[in-house]
This record gives sequence, C-alpha cells and structure tokens, in this order.
Amino acid sequence: MDLLRVSRILSRVATFTILVIAALAITAPFLWIFRGAFSGSDAELYRLPPTFDPDNLTTANFGKVTDQVPYFRFFLNSIIVSTTITLAQLVTCSTAGYAFARLRFRGKGVLFAVVIGSLMIPIQVTIVPLFLVMSKLQLTNTLWALILPGIFSAFGIFLLRQHFLALPFELEEAAKLDGAGHLRTFLRVILPLSGPSIATLGILCFTYWWNDLLLPLVMISDTERQTLPVGLVLLAGRFSTGSLGTIAAGIAMAIVPVLVVFIVAQRYIVQSIASSGLKL
Amino acid sequence: MADLMTTGTIPPAAVVTDPGRGVPRRKRRDGLAALGFLSPSIVTFLVFVLAPTAGVLYLSFYDWNLLSDGEFVGLANFDRLVHDERLLGVYGSTTYMALAILAVNVVFGLLLAVLLETRMPRWLRGFFRLSFLFPFVVSASAVALIWRFLLNKDLGLVNYLLGLAGVDRIDWLGSSAFAPVSVIVVNSWKTIGFSILVYIAGLQAIPDALKEAAIVDGANAWTRFWRITFPMLSPTIFFLVVINTINSFQIFAEPRVLTQGGPGDASRTIVEYLYDRAFGDFDLGYASAIGITFMLVLIVLTAIQFRLSRRWTFYE
Amino acid sequence: MNTPLRKFALLCATAALAVSPLAGCSNDDPGASGGDKSLEIVYWNYGPAAESGNKATADAFMAAHAGTKVTLTPVTGENWGTYYANVATLIASGKRPDVMVISGEGAQFVHANKLVQPINKYLESDAEAKTLTGDIAKGLIDGFTVKGDVVTLTYGWNDMVVYYNTDVFKQAGVEPPKADWTWADFEATAKKLTADTNGDGKPDRYGFTWASNEIFPGIMPWVANAGGNLTSDDVCKATADSPQVNKAVSFLRNLITEGVAPAPMPMSDVFTRFQNGQVAMFGAGRWPIATFLPAGFKAFDIQLYPKGDTYKTVFGGAGYPILKSSKNPDLAWEYQKFTVSEEIEKQYVGTPDKPGDSIPSRRSLAQTISKVGVPPANSDLYYDSIDKYPTLVPYPAPAKYSAFESTVLRHLQLIFAGEASVADGLKNMQGELSSIVTC
Repeated sequence: MDLLRVSRILSRVATFTILVIAALAITAPFLWIFRGAFSGSDAELYRLPPTFDPDNLTTANFGKVTDQVPYFRFFLNSIIVSTTITLAQLVTCSTAGYAFARLRFRGKGVLFAVVIGSLMIPIQVTIVPLFLVMSKLQLTNTLWALILPGIFSAFGIFLLRQHFLALPFELEEAAKLDGAGHLRTFLRVILPLSGPSIATLGILCFTYWWNDLLLPLVMISDTERQTLPVGLVLLAGRFSTGSLGTIAAGIAMAIVPVLVVFIVAQRYIVQSIASSGLKL
Repeated sequence: MADLMTTGTIPPAAVVTDPGRGVPRRKRRDGLAALGFLSPSIVTFLVFVLAPTAGVLYLSFYDWNLLSDGEFVGLANFDRLVHDERLLGVYGSTTYMALAILAVNVVFGLLLAVLLETRMPRWLRGFFRLSFLFPFVVSASAVALIWRFLLNKDLGLVNYLLGLAGVDRIDWLGSSAFAPVSVIVVNSWKTIGFSILVYIAGLQAIPDALKEAAIVDGANAWTRFWRITFPMLSPTIFFLVVINTINSFQIFAEPRVLTQGGPGDASRTIVEYLYDRAFGDFDLGYASAIGITFMLVLIVLTAIQFRLSRRWTFYE
Repeated sequence: MNTPLRKFALLCATAALAVSPLAGCSNDDPGASGGDKSLEIVYWNYGPAAESGNKATADAFMAAHAGTKVTLTPVTGENWGTYYANVATLIASGKRPDVMVISGEGAQFVHANKLVQPINKYLESDAEAKTLTGDIAKGLIDGFTVKGDVVTLTYGWNDMVVYYNTDVFKQAGVEPPKADWTWADFEATAKKLTADTNGDGKPDRYGFTWASNEIFPGIMPWVANAGGNLTSDDVCKATADSPQVNKAVSFLRNLITEGVAPAPMPMSDVFTRFQNGQVAMFGAGRWPIATFLPAGFKAFDIQLYPKGDTYKTVFGGAGYPILKSSKNPDLAWEYQKFTVSEEIEKQYVGTPDKPGDSIPSRRSLAQTISKVGVPPANSDLYYDSIDKYPTLVPYPAPAKYSAFESTVLRHLQLIFAGEASVADGLKNMQGELSSIVTC
C-alpha cells in the first residue's frame, strides 16, 4: 500500500515538473517582449550575459507607439473585424457542423469533402483572385474586405462536426420523441452540450483573425482602416529597423485583448462542463 | 449511453461506426433542413472561397504578371513543374518540417493536455493553459522576429546559455542541418497551445461516469488512458492530425522571417516558394500551377487520413 | 483590361451576384482622378515618416498649385518587394494612378512593363529642368536611365558607406579609418576590434558584419571595389562567376572563417548589434540615422568602403515617375519636379532630432546637412561619394530584380555557411541567373 502511495506521489511530482518546465520554456520569450516594452534602451536588450537595470525601466515606449501610429483606431478596427468574424463563424460553423454531423442528405460526403478540400489551397495564392473579387464588389479598402473572407471556415465546420459526432445520439432521439424539430434540437440539445468546443472555436477564430496580416496588407490602403498587425509592420518601419522597445510595446499592447477573450472563454469552458448534461 | 450507465462497461477501442448508423430505425432524409443549416456557409463559400480558387485554376493556364496582358499558354505552367529542379527539394524540406511539427503537436500536445487533467487548484490549471496558449495569440512574424535574435549563432542568447554548459556555438539559422530544426521548434512552440486547447475540449467531453466506472473496476491510470481516454479521444486526435497536417504543410511566416528559407532551400516551404514566384517574380500563372498541384497533394494526403481513420476512430 | 482578366472579371461578377445585397453596404470608391486637375499618388507606406512626408508634399503642392487635387494612396508593404506586388495588384484590379514611388531597383521593372512615361521630353523642353538637373549629380540621373529613357528625377537616394562605432574604436585603441584605406587595412582594423569582452573564451564583439538579406548593403560594395559587377554593363547578362565577384565573396567569407565577422544576419539585427557595440562596423546608406538618432545613439561616424583593386561608390535612389496611365501627365511632371524642389528636399535633410532617412538629390541641399548639424560628423561624405568618386553604373538591377536578388542571396547563404565553396556557389548562382538576367 505504501509503495502505491510513493508511486502516486512520484507521478504527481513528475507531472508538475513536466508542466512547469513546459510552461517556462513556452513563456520565456515573452518575458523578453515585456522587458523590451519597458526598456529605456534598445542596446541593453541584447547584452550578453543578459543584464537588468531597474533604473532603465520606462513606460515611454507605449507613448511612442500611440505617437507613431493611430493605435486606438487600429485597435478598434481589429476589434470590429475579429469580433464580427468570430460571431459569424460561430453561427455558420455550428449550423454547418450540425448538418454534417447529424443530418442525412444527399451529397453529404461530397459536400464535406469540398469543405475540407478548401483548406488545402494556401491563401497566398488565392489572394490575387480574392482581391479582384473584392474589387468587383467595390469592397476593397473597407473593413468588409477583411470580414467577408473570414466568415466561411472549413476548419470551424470540421472542428464542430467532430464534436457533434461525439455527442450521444440518444439525447437527440429523446428530443425527437418530444416532438422537437431540427432547429429546436440544435438550439436546445446540441448547442448547450457544446460549450467547450464552441468556446474553443471562438478563441481560435478570434486569435487567428486578430493576427492576420496578409489580408489587410493587400486589401486596405487607407491607414484609417488598417488593423493592428499592420500597425506592427508600420512600427517596425523600413527594413524592420524601428526601435525594438517600441515594437515590443506594440506587441504587448496587441496581446492584451486576446488574453481577455481567452480568460473569459476559458471560464466558460469550465462552467459549461459543470452544468452540462455530460456529467451524467 | 443508457447502456454505458447501467453496465459501466468500457467501449471497445476499435468499433467501426458510421454516424448515420447510430439511428438505423428511420431511413429519413433531412435535405431541406440541411440546406437551411448549410446556407450561410454555402453563400460565403461560393463567393469568397470557390470563386478565388476557380480564379487560381484559371490563372494556372495563363502567363500573367499582374501588369501585362495575360496570354493563354495551355499546360505550359504544369510542364514547367516537371522541369523545375528546385521544386522537389522544396517539397522534401516542406514534408520533413511538416511531419516533425505534426508529430510534436499531436504527441506532446496530448501529453500536456492529459497532464493538465491532474487534480490541481483551478487557478493553477488556468495558469498552465494560458501559458501554453500564449505564443498562439501573437502574430507569427512578430514571434519569429524574437526567435531570430535568440537563435543568432554568434550573438544569440540560446548559444550563450549553451556555451555556459560547454556546448559549441550552433548555427541555428544558417546551416542546412539546423535551419529546418529551428523552424520546427519555433512553429511547434507557436502552435502546440492550439492542439492542447482542442485536446482539452475533447477530454472535457468524455463522460466522467466512464472514468469512474473504470476506477471502480480497478484499472490503473495507464490502462484507463488506453482503454477509455484514447478511444474516446479518437475523433479529436483524428481532427488534430488532419488539421495539423494541413497547417504544417502550409507554414510560411516562420521560415520567411527566421531563415529566409535557407541556406539554399534547406528550410523553404512550398507556400514560401510559390509566394516568391507570385510576388517576387510576378509569375502568377506558374505560382497558380504550383498552388493547384500542392492542393491536390494535400487532398490526397487528407483523403488517405480519412480512409485510415475509419479503422481506428471511435464514434459512439 | 486584358483578356484573361476580362474573363476572370466575368467569373467574379457571376459570383458577386450571389452577394449583390452586400455590395450595397460598401463605401463607394470614388475612383481615380476624375477631374481635370487631379492626381493620384501611390507611395510606399513603410511607417509614420512616409505618411507624414507624403502628406506634407501633397499639401504643399496643392497650396502652390491652386485648383489641383492630390489623392494619396498609401500602399503598405514590409519591403520594396511587397510594396511593388501590392501596387501591381491594385493596377490589375483596374486602378490607374498617375504617379508611383519607386526605388532604383524598380526602374528596369517598371520600364520593362511599360508602366512609366519617360521624362526625356520634359527635360528638353522645360527650362526649370535644366537648373534642377544641374544641381543633381550625374550618377543619379544615369542610375534612373534605362535604354536612353530617363525614368524619373531622383528625390532622395543612398550610397553605401561603412558605419563605425566610435566608442568601440576608442575602447579598442583603434584609429578611425581614412577615406583611402584598403582591404588589407580594413581586415587588420576588423581583427583588432574583435574581442572576447565577457571572458567566456569566445568572441562577443566583432569587427564587421553585413546585411544578409539585401545585396546593396551586403556584397555589392565589395564586388564593385574588386572591379566587378553582378551583371554586364547593359544589364542583359549575369556575370556572377567572374574572378572579381569571386575575390569579393572570398574576402567576406574569409572574415567569417577567421572569426572577425559573425554569422550573417538581416539588416534590422545588425542595427541593434551595432548600437550596443557587439558589431563595430557595418555597411548601409543614410537610413540608419533615422533609427539611431531618435534612439539617442550618436557614437558613430561614416567612411567610404575600403579600396580593393579599384574604388566605386555603390548607390541607389528613389523617385516619383509618371505612369503611362496618367490622365494628367503634365501635372504629374509638375508634381515630380515639386518632389525635388528646395521646399520639399529640406525634409530629406531633416534636423538632429528628426533626421531624414535618405540623402537629398540636390547637391545644394545635401551640403546643408552638416551645417544643420545632423550627425554623423562626416556627413559631407554622403554627397561627395557620388560627386567626387567613380560610381558603379549600371545598377545590377534587371527587370526581374526580386528573382535576381533572392537567387543571389540564396547561394550566398550556402557559401557563407561554409556549405558550398565560393567557386561552386558562384557557378551555380550564375547558372540560375542566366535565365533571370535577360533582355
């Protein structure tokens, strides 16, 4: 019995050691970003061995960011774009995922194959035709040009389909016996059980579009309508030779909203599990 | 589910189930409902995915540099593919890096996600999750820029720290042996949080009753993992294999910022290669031909994965 | 609009029908220059300085020319290459700007694609032009001349000079370099500057490094001073495997092998390493001062590249050429002239706090840099290097410049990593370049 306890303790120690090392290794480069953001001297950042001079700490870099680029305008644009896409995707992906997972209809296999197939073509090669489409629709240089291409997401459909497939069919059967239609089954039975997956999709979608650089770079020319990633490019300046402290401050300021989304969604992941029927 | 509750048995690992077969009693069709559920996706798909993709296919038959009058050249662009001496090498380095990134994501992602299931205070779990996802929330090129500084051969922090341990300076970014390794490390570092998050969502969906039943049956952690967690997680694993394959074959920002694809083509990816053809050489037709064939390669790969998945993916 | 595009547009239009209600919510693009006296200017928006500079120029132009309307279209890009690509995409979608900013590397490209309207006839007929060109170094005009066509007047330009960290020189007890130094002097200087300052037995301060991601601030000055070039004089043939190129590349590789230069890194990394003294010397144009001075770093000066078998200044400029699609070419010419007017050129001189990031093309203004007090001390050298020394003409910038540059850099990576011999690497480079550099 004692042996069992020892091995249990050992396995806990091993578990936490691995987790702590992984967490440190993964976050270490960010310490450097935050240090850079508060550093008064670019040169100090690269000294070997690394030095740290508390007297050199400053918040001036954040001021430089807002001086050099219309940061809050970019911020607002990014929020509009990422939020709209995320909300739209939650609708399109969950409905489509439901159809692929739970409905029977002709051509389902082919249609799903087409959806997955659309993941295969890199945006770098479709960007020119996409620009021409947007230009025909007279939407270039508007936020629509950033939002509309993001609404369809094969990734999201696939993610939610996989999740819906894993849900017990008996639940649905019970709802059907009660006379619920598809829409009601979807809204009342399936969605409430899918909190974690939907929150996951929300986080991933928001993060992805928050960081997207290629679309705004190509679609938008007015600085007023640019997003944060372009702001970082502008801060980096010609040949990326801008001040590193300023760039680091820009990166740090761009991270914060995503963290908020993550923390909120993560709460939701935990809570929805606790209240869902999955607890049995 | 009722069965599971009453008997507490563990589902066999290799059940071949078609989702449709879960409801064998009714042979109904839900065509109209499906159309309703799918229509938002279909509309956006047609305009913003299918039309540009058709455009790429169309361009692949043309010689066009954005500014010139395009010229129809038939299959000439595809013929060039066969004679492109660099293409095979670039496919090789892409495959090497993609498979490594895939393995790291699927295996280590699972390990870390499962370890996160250990009993611990809520804030600690939240902290770990947040740390793992951190790199994913920052733009890839910004992140790669930091790594470029850290991995610099003669003046970088990584080699400095290794030097304290007596290791010779490694040319992380400049040598054919290590440049791909750097891309693999940096990209895995960036994406593993994503895989962990998806795993967590999958793990959360496993009914506790199953695990508890197994504990009552006296199965140890190892057995429980292989008999319950793993099979119940198989749709998630399958999803991550497919998605990570697609994503890792399409990496772009990391090699571009870290190594510029070099030295030579040692760390160049297909997407970087076709981007250079399109926007460096303004050779839109040829870039489109590369894009179309690359798409076919990925489709075949994914089709194989779907085929194989029928053998081991467990859907209840 | 050309044939495939027209068909493609049809395809898109069909697709667009599906979302026609959406098109209604778009902001209407007012389209390019409709009126008589309007101009649309496309420029590279590489940062706040580019935007404010172009706004200032446009506003001043409108103030000076009553009734004109200048629309600015900033195009974002991480470098010149992505900027050109994005402009080309704009043009492909049917936009017809009057003027676009280009760099010297782009001159052959825009010329080969028949995008620009040469300014030869204006130079002959416009009396003002004579005065202007008299104040602009001949090299700058030659640099933008393609097959006899003058593509544009240059408003600002950069020459390649050696930057050295004066603090590091003092610490190491090394004399500042003189204009007539040689490759041997250079190597000896670099060796003296290389040191292990933290005592871990390996050097952590290096004599010299160069940008690994660009040709001009990278190998070109060395190739030029070895008496070579990467292309023939008519830019119709690659000459990458010539003995001169071999000599230059061997010299640089030797610096790495001897441990005097670190493994090559991109320009942005070099800047920081130079400021904190990890690298004592590097090569670039005038643009580093736009990073150094605002950061409060002033401990540097400049000198010419050391002499090899010869000396030739390597330089590159930028201008606002008139596009063929312009509806108002005469007004566009006025705009181009305006960008080299005294009023505007003062921007490029700058002040010690807000320095310009290139050298003004007008000699009379460039000479005011040291009077205004913009560091470095040796600032007069910027213009002297093109006025008083031989220059590398032509620019080795074929129409497919981007393909050319990436090919050269790719093979250099292998050579500098020690994975290909200089001779083999250059031979392979030449093999690939032969199909890229053509006429």
